[in-house]
Amino acid sequence: MQSLWRADWFGPLVVTVVAIIFIAAFNPSFLSPLNIQVLLLAISVNMLIAFSQMIIIAIGQMNLSVGAIGGLAAISFAGMMEVWGLPGPVAAVLALLIGVVAGFFNGFFIAWTGISAFVITLASLSIFKGLNLAVTRAQPFYGVLESVKAFGATTFLGPLPWLLIPAAIAFVLTWYLLNRLPLGRHILAVGGNAHAAELSGISVPRTIMAAHAISGLLAALAGICLVARLQIGQPTIGDDWLILSFAAPVIGGAVLAGGHVSTVATVLGVAIVAIITQALVLFHIDPFLVQVVLGALILWAVGVNRWREVRVARSLKRI
Amino acid sequence: MGEIVFEARGVSKFFPGVKALENVSIKLTKGSIHALLGENGAGKSTLIKLITGVYRPDEGELLLDGKPTNFFGPRDAMAAGIGVVHQERNLIPRFSVGENIMLEQSAGSLFKPIDYRQINADAKKWLDMLGLDVDPSMRVSQLSVAKMQLVEIAKALSLRSRVLLLDEPTASLSPHETIALFALLKKLRDEGVSMLFVSHKLEEVQSICDSVTVLRDGHNACESRSMAGLGRQDLVKLMIGRSEQIPDWAARDFAAAPPVLELKDVATPLGHQNIDLTVRKGEIVGLYGLIGAGRTELAKSIMGLFPVNGGSVKLDGQAVTIGNVADAIHTHRIGYVSEDRKQEGLILMHTVLDNAGIAIWRRVARKFGLLTDQSVRVTAEPFIRKLEVRTPSLNQIVGNLSGGNQQKISVAKWLAAGVRLLIVDEPTVGIDIKTKAYLHELLRDLSNSGTAILLITSDMPEMITLADRIVVMNDYRLAGELHNTRDYAAMSEGIMHLIHRVAAA
Repeated sequence: MQSLWRADWFGPLVVTVVAIIFIAAFNPSFLSPLNIQVLLLAISVNMLIAFSQMIIIAIGQMNLSVGAIGGLAAISFAGMMEVWGLPGPVAAVLALLIGVVAGFFNGFFIAWTGISAFVITLASLSIFKGLNLAVTRAQPFYGVLESVKAFGATTFLGPLPWLLIPAAIAFVLTWYLLNRLPLGRHILAVGGNAHAAELSGISVPRTIMAAHAISGLLAALAGICLVARLQIGQPTIGDDWLILSFAAPVIGGAVLAGGHVSTVATVLGVAIVAIITQALVLFHIDPFLVQVVLGALILWAVGVNRWREVRVARSLKRI
Repeated sequence: MGEIVFEARGVSKFFPGVKALENVSIKLTKGSIHALLGENGAGKSTLIKLITGVYRPDEGELLLDGKPTNFFGPRDAMAAGIGVVHQERNLIPRFSVGENIMLEQSAGSLFKPIDYRQINADAKKWLDMLGLDVDPSMRVSQLSVAKMQLVEIAKALSLRSRVLLLDEPTASLSPHETIALFALLKKLRDEGVSMLFVSHKLEEVQSICDSVTVLRDGHNACESRSMAGLGRQDLVKLMIGRSEQIPDWAARDFAAAPPVLELKDVATPLGHQNIDLTVRKGEIVGLYGLIGAGRTELAKSIMGLFPVNGGSVKLDGQAVTIGNVADAIHTHRIGYVSEDRKQEGLILMHTVLDNAGIAIWRRVARKFGLLTDQSVRVTAEPFIRKLEVRTPSLNQIVGNLSGGNQQKISVAKWLAAGVRLLIVDEPTVGIDIKTKAYLHELLRDLSNSGTAILLITSDMPEMITLADRIVVMNDYRLAGELHNTRDYAAMSEGIMHLIHRVAAA
C-alpha cells in the first residue's frame, strides 16, 4: 500500500477513475460511444504534445517551442501534399524530419552556447512561428489528401479512433526509451545530476541535443495528427499547446528540475485534462473557464508533488 | 619501488589571474597508496582534475605506462583505467544503487537495452566486496550520506581501475566504516592497484599511505617521496612551509562578562538535542566537530533559518524566538558568515559596495525607502578600508576578487551591520596563509571590541588559535567543553578524545 501510494501513477489514476464515475453518474451520455471517441481523439493528440515536453522536463529544461515546431510540421505536411502533390506518407516523413531538425536546432544552441533552454526556445518559438506564417500567409492549406482525412476521422473496433495508433506507438517507445534504453537513462541522469552524469562518461551536450531532437519529433507527430483530425493545415496549430504540455507531465508527478518523469502518469495527466474539459462542455459551463480550470489543476498537481516530496524527505531523514 | 603506472611531469594549469598549478610532478606506482596533501587552495583538486581529464594541462605532460597521453574528457581517463571517488556527491539521486554503480558501462552505447537484473547482479558483487549490505535496486536518495560515499567507491571499483583516486573518501564515514574501507584499500593495493589518497586527516595518511606528494601554493613541496621516516610535524611543515604555530595571545577570562547568547536544552527538528551553549560578550567560543556533526545546522537554527522546537534561546538575557533570518539580522543583530561564501555568503555578480552594504540597506534607507550609494558608502566603506580589501574600486564585481578578499567582504558586511553576535562558519577555507593570519587577528580584534563570536571550524590550528573555549559537537549533540590552553598537542588530543569517546560509545 505504501509503495502504491508513492507510485506516480496511483494518484492520477484514482482521480481519473473517480472523475469518470462522478461525471457518468450525473450525465450518462458521458460514456456514449460518440463521447468516448471525442475523448480519445483529444487524448491521442495531447499525449504526443505532453511527451514532447516531458522529454525536455526529464533533462531538466523546458521547451517553449513545442507548439511552434508542431505547427511548422503541420503546415509543412499539408503544404507538401497540396503544393507539391506528395503522397501522404512521404509528406509525413518529411514533416517529421522538419520536427527533428527544429528540435536539434534548439538542442544544439543550448548545448553549444550554454544559454538556458528557456531563452533559446523562446527565440526559436518566434522563428518557427514566423516561418510558419511566412509560408502560409496565415491562410490554411485545404489540399489535405482524402486518405489522410479518413485516417483522422474514422474509427476501428467501435469508438476507437485510428489516431490512437500513432499515440500508442509513441507511448510504448517513449516508455521503453526512458526505462530501458541507455539514451533515455542518460537523459534522466543528466536531468538528475548533470555533473555526475558527465563524470560517469555520459556526453552531456550530445544527450541534450538528442532529447531536443526527440522532443521535436514528437511535436511534429502531434502536428501531423492534428492536420488529419482537423482535415486542414491550420497555421494556428500549436498556438495553444504550451499550458497543456506542462500540465500533463506535472500532474503525472514530473519534477520540473529534471531527473524524474513518469510516462504512464503523464498519459493519465492527459486523460484528466481531457475528461475535465469534456465535463465542462457536458455540463454547459462556459468554455472559457477551461483555462482557469487547467491553471488550477497545475497548481494542485505541483502542490501535491511538493507535499509528497516533503513527506518523503521527512521519513528519510537521518537513517 | 614497483613500476610506474601513471606520471604527471611538470604540469601547469593557469586560470585567469591565478596560477593554480606550476610545474608539478607526481608518480604513481603499481600496488601502492600514494598520499596527496596540501592545504585548501594548494592545487590538489586542480591536479586531480588534470589526472581525470576534466582539465587539460597548459604545460607539461601526462604519462601512462611511460607513454605520453592526452585526455580530452573524463571518458578518456576512464577508458585508460583511471577511476575516481569524488568529494562531492556524484550520484544520480533518483536512480537505483545498481544503476549508479554501473552507469559508466551504459555510457558508451545509446540503444542497447538495459538489463536491470544483470546490472543489479554485477553491482552486488562490488557492494559485497565493500561489505556493504544494500539492495542494489534501492534508490540512492534513500541512503545515508555515508552509504552514498561507499556506493561511489563501489562505482569507481566497478571500472576495474588500475589507478584509483580517492578524494577525501572518509569525510563522511564513521570510524568503523573507515576501518573497513582501509582494509579494502590494502587488499586492492596487494592486487596491484595504484591509489592516490587525498585526505586532511594526517593520522589516516600515516596509517595507510606508502608514499606522499605535498602541494603548496600550486608547487611541489615534495614529490613522490616515501612515507618512511616522515612524522606528522614533517608533513605539516611541508604543507604550510613551517610548523604549526599558535600565536602567543594572552588568555582571557570571561567568567564575569554578561552572556550574549544563551542556549538552554535546545532541540531542533533537524536532530539537535540538549544543546546548552553560552557565548559571552567579547568571547570567542569555538564549535568543533567532524563534517556532518550538525554545527552549521545549529548556526542556521540560531539565525532563524530552521526552527527551534525545544528549550530556550536567550539574547542578552532575554528569551527570544527568532522566526526568520531578517529578524535575526535586523531585530536581534546577529550576523552569519557562511561557510559557503560563493553560494550563501556573497552575490558574486554584484559589486563590492552592494555586497558590503546589503545587511544595512534597511537601516540607511531614506524617505520612501530610497537608497543612495552615498548613504551605503558612508557606513560600509570604513570597514572595507579597515579590512584592507584589495579591490580596484568599490564598484568592482566581487566574483573577480580573490577568495581571501571575498571573505574579507563577507566579514565587512557584518561589521558594517554592527552585530552583537557574529557566527563565523569555516572562515578561512580556501584562503592563503597570510590572509588567514590576518583574518584571525581581525576576529580577535573584533572580540576585543566586545562582539561575541561563535566560531565554527574544522581547522584544528585555527580553532586553537582563536577560541577562548572549545565546545565539541558530535552527531547533533554536544560532547563536551574544553578551556583553550593554546597548547596544540594537549588541545587536539583533548578534542579528539571527546569526539571518539562518543563515537565509541
